[in-house]
Amino acid sequence: MSDAKETKANESSGTNHERRNFFKLGATALGASAMMGLIPGGIRSSAWAAGSDAPEKTEVKIGFIPLTDCAPIVVAAQMGFDKKYGIKITPSKEASWAAIRDKTVNGELDAAHVLYGLVYGVQMGIGGQQKDMSLLMTLNHNGQGITLSNQVKDKGVTSGATLKRLIDNENRDYTFAQTFPTGTHAMWLYYWLAAYGINPIKDVKTIVVPPPQMVANMRVGNMDGYCVGEPWNARAIYDKVGYTVATSQDIWTDHPEKVLGTTAEFVQKNPNTARAMIMAILDACRYIDATANRAAVAKLIAGKAYVNAPEEVIEGRFLGHYDNGNGKKWEDPNYMKFFEDGKVNFPYLSDGMWFLTQHKRWGLLKDDPDYLAIAKKINRIELYTEAATQLKIAVPKDAMRSSKLIDGIVWDAKDPKAYAAGFKIKA
Amino acid sequence: MLKVLLVDQSMKRSMPLKQALTEVGYEVVGRISDCADLNQVVAKLQPDVIVIDVDSPSRDTLEHIVVSGQDTPRPIVMFTHDGDVDKIRSATKVGVSAYVVGGLESARIRPIIDAAMARFEEFSVMKQELQSVTLKLSERKNVERAKGVLMKQKGLSESEAYNLMRKMAMDRNIKLADLAQQLVEAASLLL
Repeated sequence: MSDAKETKANESSGTNHERRNFFKLGATALGASAMMGLIPGGIRSSAWAAGSDAPEKTEVKIGFIPLTDCAPIVVAAQMGFDKKYGIKITPSKEASWAAIRDKTVNGELDAAHVLYGLVYGVQMGIGGQQKDMSLLMTLNHNGQGITLSNQVKDKGVTSGATLKRLIDNENRDYTFAQTFPTGTHAMWLYYWLAAYGINPIKDVKTIVVPPPQMVANMRVGNMDGYCVGEPWNARAIYDKVGYTVATSQDIWTDHPEKVLGTTAEFVQKNPNTARAMIMAILDACRYIDATANRAAVAKLIAGKAYVNAPEEVIEGRFLGHYDNGNGKKWEDPNYMKFFEDGKVNFPYLSDGMWFLTQHKRWGLLKDDPDYLAIAKKINRIELYTEAATQLKIAVPKDAMRSSKLIDGIVWDAKDPKAYAAGFKIKA
Repeated sequence: MLKVLLVDQSMKRSMPLKQALTEVGYEVVGRISDCADLNQVVAKLQPDVIVIDVDSPSRDTLEHIVVSGQDTPRPIVMFTHDGDVDKIRSATKVGVSAYVVGGLESARIRPIIDAAMARFEEFSVMKQELQSVTLKLSERKNVERAKGVLMKQKGLSESEAYNLMRKMAMDRNIKLADLAQQLVEAASLLL
């Protein structure tokens, strides 16, 4: 952690800064142990517990969709990380991303495990009411995938290139499914298809199918492929209806995926609760990323109240053991990551801007938005930095990162407008 | 005439809504379970309005159909599982303002929402009534059984047993049905 960052974090929190310093001085003068004795055990670890730093709202309902990467929300609540920061998290299983969006927007949910692109879609008013949104932290990187059906496999398709050949040579309708129009899986699917010369808007038909229904729909021949989060790619192999042609980490290694999203209004009214949620979930992410804990977490989330899928289907890829269902097995170093010393969780502005460039690319946005200004508005870097600093988790110096994606094109957020316009294949 | 598609897990629940909409002159082009392939159904039936449960997993499918504009955008009306009118109103507010586009003024959709809400509320009331009837039946059964226990154990007549139970319930300030249940449970443990 750099000193510069700490200064910045303290500046933005104003009076909290003074109170904390007072607290620190007090602790030194009295002796740490005497001071600790005065504080109830549950909140000892949190310096934010004093005075008006206490959460404005102590019980929060956080929505999630049954997917492996809902783990941080479940673990934060189940393992009691929430109580450490003076809040109680109630995870609320939701049936659709549309329901997550509506309930977050109307305040029925305080926050949610949500697709990165969806938060930006709501901010931009794509397909619904516009609402100012806030992104508190990234929950995970990697761990999604693209599954192709056995029928396509039987035609000799083993890759994007061979899929392109099939589509060129055999004239019929091809259908691919994803999970939400502005979401991450739509963007991974479109990006991957386009990387192999297939226009996802013009050359194939795209549909949305709820993740738990993907496998059943593929079995009855409703689609040639789909992009979804785990465990639903592993499940296709387990049920022998398809195989994994690409993982999302093949498309973009360490790509941002789900986030903790809420409305700007909620953060404005409950900044301390928002910070407490980030801290509790950061603790959970750190816990999940420890290899020793992964199997137990897989077991926990496999339950009916959460992902509701066999533990063995979740566990393999959750531990990095990959089998593509077509004869290839490997240990993937870039499997689903939740923490990586905070590198996963920092809400990089460049990550948010990337989704806007893809929304523009595929015609969901008619005009170029002010990419940087919107990302700065949504991604709550100051709040995240305060939370991470309290937990002694390093915060990157630069809010931009640079990545090379599957087609060899580098995204560094320096010229988003040119990047969005520069793709050969677009809507 | 507006073509309406009903999507619901519970076919029983959507039946009265279909009747109501037909009576006021809408054409209900389909009434399907939410497990059906909505992509195909919407493409085939071309409904102007879709009525769907707010908690249906298929809502994302409709989102995509609407946003991608593969077919003409169409309003979606939603209703929820519980009778909380505010919740329904906020949900329909989000949904309807989101999907109403050229040609379809909200004034024409309003009656559909109203019908959906009214029918849904009726259904909720019916469900509650059914629950309370079932509960009363099981309560009565317990009272009869408890009475039998007291008659046998204490050699009381039926009316004496009943009066004793009433007095015990009053002394304890609990409902007769609850006392009966406690007696039955205690008897099953002790006897």
